[in-house]
Amino acid sequence: MWLTSKIKQIVLALKPGTVTLKYPFEPRPAPKDFRGQPVWDHTKCIGCGGCANHCPARTILMRDLCQDIRVLLYDGARCTYCGRCADLCPEKAIVMSSEYELATGDRNDVTQSIELFMLTCNRCGRCYDMEIKNVIDKLDLRGYRYDSLETRTVLRRTTDRMAPEILDETGTFHRPEKIGG
Amino acid sequence: MPYITPIINVVLFLLLAPLFEGVLRKLTAKVQSRQGPPLTQPYYDLLKLLGKESLNSAGTWPFKFAPLLAFATILTVAAVIPFGGRAGIFAGRMDAILVIYLLTLGGVAVLIGALAGRNTFGLIGASREMATMIMVEPLLAMTLILGAVKIKSLTLVAAMPSAGGASYGFSTVLMLVVYLLALQAFVARQPFDIAEAEVELLEGPFIEYSGPNYALFKYAMMLKQMFYAWLFVSVFLPVLRTGIYPLDIVLQLLAMLVVFLLIGLVGSTNPRMRIDQAVRYYAVLIVVGLLAVGLGVQGI
Amino acid sequence: MAALFSKLATKAFPKSLWVYHCNSGACNGCDIEILNVLTPYYDIERFGMKLVGSPRHADVMLLSGAVTRPTLPLVKRAFEAIPSPKLVFGIGSCAAGGGCWFDTYNVMGGGATAVPVDYLIPGCPPRPEAIIYGVALALGLVDKKAAPIELKQVEFPIDAYLRNKAWEERNVIYRLIKD
Repeated sequence: MWLTSKIKQIVLALKPGTVTLKYPFEPRPAPKDFRGQPVWDHTKCIGCGGCANHCPARTILMRDLCQDIRVLLYDGARCTYCGRCADLCPEKAIVMSSEYELATGDRNDVTQSIELFMLTCNRCGRCYDMEIKNVIDKLDLRGYRYDSLETRTVLRRTTDRMAPEILDETGTFHRPEKIGG
Repeated sequence: MPYITPIINVVLFLLLAPLFEGVLRKLTAKVQSRQGPPLTQPYYDLLKLLGKESLNSAGTWPFKFAPLLAFATILTVAAVIPFGGRAGIFAGRMDAILVIYLLTLGGVAVLIGALAGRNTFGLIGASREMATMIMVEPLLAMTLILGAVKIKSLTLVAAMPSAGGASYGFSTVLMLVVYLLALQAFVARQPFDIAEAEVELLEGPFIEYSGPNYALFKYAMMLKQMFYAWLFVSVFLPVLRTGIYPLDIVLQLLAMLVVFLLIGLVGSTNPRMRIDQAVRYYAVLIVVGLLAVGLGVQGI
Repeated sequence: MAALFSKLATKAFPKSLWVYHCNSGACNGCDIEILNVLTPYYDIERFGMKLVGSPRHADVMLLSGAVTRPTLPLVKRAFEAIPSPKLVFGIGSCAAGGGCWFDTYNVMGGGATAVPVDYLIPGCPPRPEAIIYGVALALGLVDKKAAPIELKQVEFPIDAYLRNKAWEERNVIYRLIKD
């Protein structure tokens, strides 16, 4: 009686045949909305540094080489493909592509680097006046960013994140008593 | 002719044992609905293992000696048996007791290797292997002795065919059933691969072996599988004897292939038994086997 | 005779790699994906690879997880227990470079701080297809697809200047009024 059940088991197991995918020899596209490697579009990037500030693995590094040129380095070995940089980018310059075949023997093969020219506006092309404070400089740090591109780490300087008037405000801040108040 | 037969035996066994193991792995894969390795995969496995460095982690000479002992005993058995029904120069002089002794010595070699490794998993694996050997060797002995009690002679050439050939009585049928039920433990497959339990014991007795030593152990296991399949065909299927030597060999190999398919099917659909469940199962089988031998003595 | 065997062994090596899985402090996401690779759907045994329980039988160590401080000497010992020739695959972003936690208090970094990593397979966790792609790359069955990308916005502000000038020429009436 266990013999018949074993025979039934074998017949049941042989019914689907072979279900193995022939993957490396036939391509297999990723599903829709799959978060693969992020890809930067250098014609749209304005160099605001939002992606670099919010990357959880601190994989995106920025460095100001001089007043004109800012370098953005995406060191993809630690990237967790969370998609925060793509959500954040104000110009929609980052797209999470569906590229997942990223295996390599060398860490440098998954890096992307952009050299950004910071003196001209990326949309209209006119130089903007650095003396008059524009929105980008109001958002950003005082002083230059100088992450270490050689050792691939972010060097943080915590003192120059806020303007002094905002820093003064934090001492006198009151939570609202009721919601909406 | 009698001088060449042992050499033909050894060559056939060495060349075809990995192929049968490949058939087993492919069959297991097909039952699990996947593609599985190519049929010649165990050849690549053995060649690759020969190319690795051999780490002698125990540093004692029994560690290096045990795989050689296991390989040598099973090759001696392969040289001695009457493959294809034709007796070589040794088969007339060696008897069934020697075959049993050599197979037990092979098992003891595995134990020596496991105990020389000084690894706790190896110790547990060695104790389980000892329990399995104690359960299983009496059944092997009863299979060989069944023919001997019928014809009152222990030589291999007489004992094996006569169990089936001359008088295929009720005792032979009973012994056939017992052998089939015990076959899985002889070849160390599920449900009785207790010693070499892969997931529980990290491969048990062989845990410290690497490189060429491990290749010798694996080869010895494959040769043992092939020997047990041959034993079934030669003792219980006397119809496959036409008298022409090459045709006999081919017929026996095909029958062994069918036995391997059976081993593969049973092995891939059963879970592993615990050691106490297995011992109880084998106690029943030993009693039935003794009954079969007793009936054979009476001539039934 | 020995030369013949060693040549055969070198040719047989990529056809039968035995894999040992070592988890050095992972969240188990990459471990589950490694287990997925062994299932019938993405069968890896068709390349001859088998999962073994003891590092002494293995050729390849699959390292998953950021290497934490307690597991650092253990990963090193497991690596030394594998007989040469051997390979190490770092599976997932944690083994590749430390993941999100590369500079936290208990983590040493990626797999490269403990063992020399030969192939890294980034992803969090990597798809089973990505792991199979990495294995096929190591075996030489496919070509490498990842390559460094370098982009530049402008070399010189010539484009911007020309665009500026064209704008001003289009709005020439304003210039006349100003003049």
